[in-house]
Amino acid sequence: MGKSTKSFGLLSAALLSFSLVLGGCGGGNGNGNAADSGGGSEKPVELIWYTIGTPQKDVDTVMEKVSEYTKEKINATVKMKMIDWGDYQQKMQVLVASGEPMDIIFTSAGGFDYVQNARKGAFLQIDDLLQKYGKGIIDTIDPAFLSGSKVDGHNYGIPANKELPQQDVWRFNKNLLDKYNLDISNVRSLESLEPLLKTIKEKEPNVTPFGLDKNHVPTVPYDFLITNMPMAVKLDTTDYKVVNILETDEMKKALRTMHKYYKAGYISPEAATVGSTNDLTKSGNWLVDRAQTQPLAENLWAAAYGYPVVSTPASDPIITNASVQGSIMAISANSEHPEKAMEFLNLLNTDPVLRNMVDSGIEGVHYEKIGENRIRNLEAAKNYDMPSYSLGNNMILYLNENDPDDKWEQFKAFNAKGVPSPILGFNFDSTKVATEMAAIQNVKEQYWSSLMTGTVDPDEYLPIAIEKFKAAGLDKVIAEAQAQLDAWVAENKK
Amino acid sequence: MAGSFFRNLIRNRAMLLMVLPGAVWFLFFSYMPLIGTIAAFKEYRFSRQGFWYSLTHSKNVGWDNFKYLFNTDAAYTITRNTLLYNIAFIFLGLVFSVALAIILSEIVNKRMAKLYQTGMFLPYFLSWVIVGYFAFSFLSMDRGLLNHTLESFGIDSIQWYNEPKYWPFILIFVSLWKSAGYNSVVYLASIMGIDKSLYEAAMIDGANKWQQIRNITLPLLKPIIIIMTLLAVGRIFYADFGLFYNVPRDSGTLYSVTNVIDTYVYRGLKTTGEIGMSTAAGLYQSVVGFILVMVSNFIVRKIDKDSALF
Repeated sequence: MGKSTKSFGLLSAALLSFSLVLGGCGGGNGNGNAADSGGGSEKPVELIWYTIGTPQKDVDTVMEKVSEYTKEKINATVKMKMIDWGDYQQKMQVLVASGEPMDIIFTSAGGFDYVQNARKGAFLQIDDLLQKYGKGIIDTIDPAFLSGSKVDGHNYGIPANKELPQQDVWRFNKNLLDKYNLDISNVRSLESLEPLLKTIKEKEPNVTPFGLDKNHVPTVPYDFLITNMPMAVKLDTTDYKVVNILETDEMKKALRTMHKYYKAGYISPEAATVGSTNDLTKSGNWLVDRAQTQPLAENLWAAAYGYPVVSTPASDPIITNASVQGSIMAISANSEHPEKAMEFLNLLNTDPVLRNMVDSGIEGVHYEKIGENRIRNLEAAKNYDMPSYSLGNNMILYLNENDPDDKWEQFKAFNAKGVPSPILGFNFDSTKVATEMAAIQNVKEQYWSSLMTGTVDPDEYLPIAIEKFKAAGLDKVIAEAQAQLDAWVAENKK
Repeated sequence: MAGSFFRNLIRNRAMLLMVLPGAVWFLFFSYMPLIGTIAAFKEYRFSRQGFWYSLTHSKNVGWDNFKYLFNTDAAYTITRNTLLYNIAFIFLGLVFSVALAIILSEIVNKRMAKLYQTGMFLPYFLSWVIVGYFAFSFLSMDRGLLNHTLESFGIDSIQWYNEPKYWPFILIFVSLWKSAGYNSVVYLASIMGIDKSLYEAAMIDGANKWQQIRNITLPLLKPIIIIMTLLAVGRIFYADFGLFYNVPRDSGTLYSVTNVIDTYVYRGLKTTGEIGMSTAAGLYQSVVGFILVMVSNFIVRKIDKDSALF
């Protein structure tokens, strides 16, 4: 008898403490909700703001100043939590899934996927809030951003007002161009790079002529339904047909050229496994790479690398879902103060004082004013170096020392130049084919980088990859996407 | 009933207190997460009421989350890789560790023996990330030591990170290099415990070194070998994540020979963010692992009842 009672006792003790722990969790949540519905508050509320970027030393100091300002304006204080570039996606998946308290979340097509997470319920639907507290936003930012970031007809976040189209460019290390007198005026296609690559390969054995990493995808005239997944629609399409990008002639040709370059030694043999080309840009041992541009981007690059960089277009400026959803601040579905969060976002996108404080820090500490709209960074600016694109309206930012006076005019002109993608505004809902999507994702991980970087021979591996994608259910996904797209076209394009 | 329960509690309070830290640890890190297993059968959607609420209120989808594993050959590949690599690690690890231990015990100069031992022990303390870079310095395609050596002999360099056929050997070699020294210490300790008079008697009878090893050392090592092997078999379905993720540098071309269950689950969560499907893959791992442990223990009990774990 003794033994069995003992083990029963232990078990029931374990169960008891277990249920206590669980009960504790549930109770905590209940209280939170009660407080939330309380409404009218005299005490300032604290907004928790998760955003992307390398955590900066002075974030808390700056946010104290920001809070002083926002307390006066909207009776709210701000606590910012930064998560580094590479970790953002993964850490946010976990933080959001575990119900961590948060009010404002950075999201984009690339980092912590906007559409996917909006559908999963991570963000609050803000149609009403936007009308009620976000008048300033509606008046200020380019309407293409707000309409382009609708998911199933609803807004789930406030896009940053910045460059609207995306345009691929070839970036060149100007030092090498000058040294060998290379002319880039005829460069446009991937093939047109060849003579330049060849010269550098012969004359500068220590230079990697064509810098690229494992995320590289050759420029092709298609818009992807989901960033870098194989389903795509041609940019000049008339029949809105969804195709497998690997089966298109353009991609086949590009991959063959990439493989040719790889074999000729123009591309680093490690390209398919390295996560970035920082080593190359830091040391200046590269001739050309591909990047996305914005007005005056060459100045930014030159300032970051410490040597001149020039660029020439590789594609037209296209307004796509990915470019419109490039930087969005969403309100968390579990925010306890959604109204305040919206008021704050409204202020952030319309009030230059707040926006610049968040961007550049404290005047006299991190920067000094050298004109009405112009600032110079001080020594301490390195302790508060924020990514400008991610935090909100760019067009009310102060100009830097070397910026031309018409910087934001140039942005507006660039935005006006953009051509909308035929599927701008169509967001593929993959929930019905989630099983296939996961399997396709796995196949993609296996074959994508080595094909796209030219590491493997497309004549040998492309058929294998296509077959594996088919086996994983790509045809079913394409059929589903086609059905959704047809319905969308019928509704929106007539 | 309740009275006898509390009497029991008080009577055994010292013992129970000693068990408490371990029990709490298990409760939090092994039993609580079990509830998350439900996610494998859910289409997980966030809700503002937190994790538990999301978990219980997400839509039930039955076995749908397991489909993606078995729709493709993914389940087969990762199961095969996990099992074959672990069998190789267990078998070769055993042979190498025991051989190392015997050689070390035979070295007369004790200071040199300590030096060798430390040298072989060291890799065990290196993080897999660092070991991954060690391997990279040898295998790098344009700057690696191996390709330089090959080229200096006029042989074409090899695209190590694109050629799956070499990787079973590379992975097994790296794994042995890292762990054999550490495991040999366990065997060395039990060799040291063997009664020296047995060897003296054997020598008087004219037994040479090989005969001594075969007839004295190995039979006396048998119990510890069985226990160590059984413990390893218990974890046969758990791949060493660091080895399979960091050493091949996450190279897609190599997945056919480097993808194991742990890396598969990790990549699944990282790239798709589908908690339900990743949980399903993890659950699959646990279930098959459980079956393997039961079967191997059953077999051992048939052969040698005292050596079985339970």
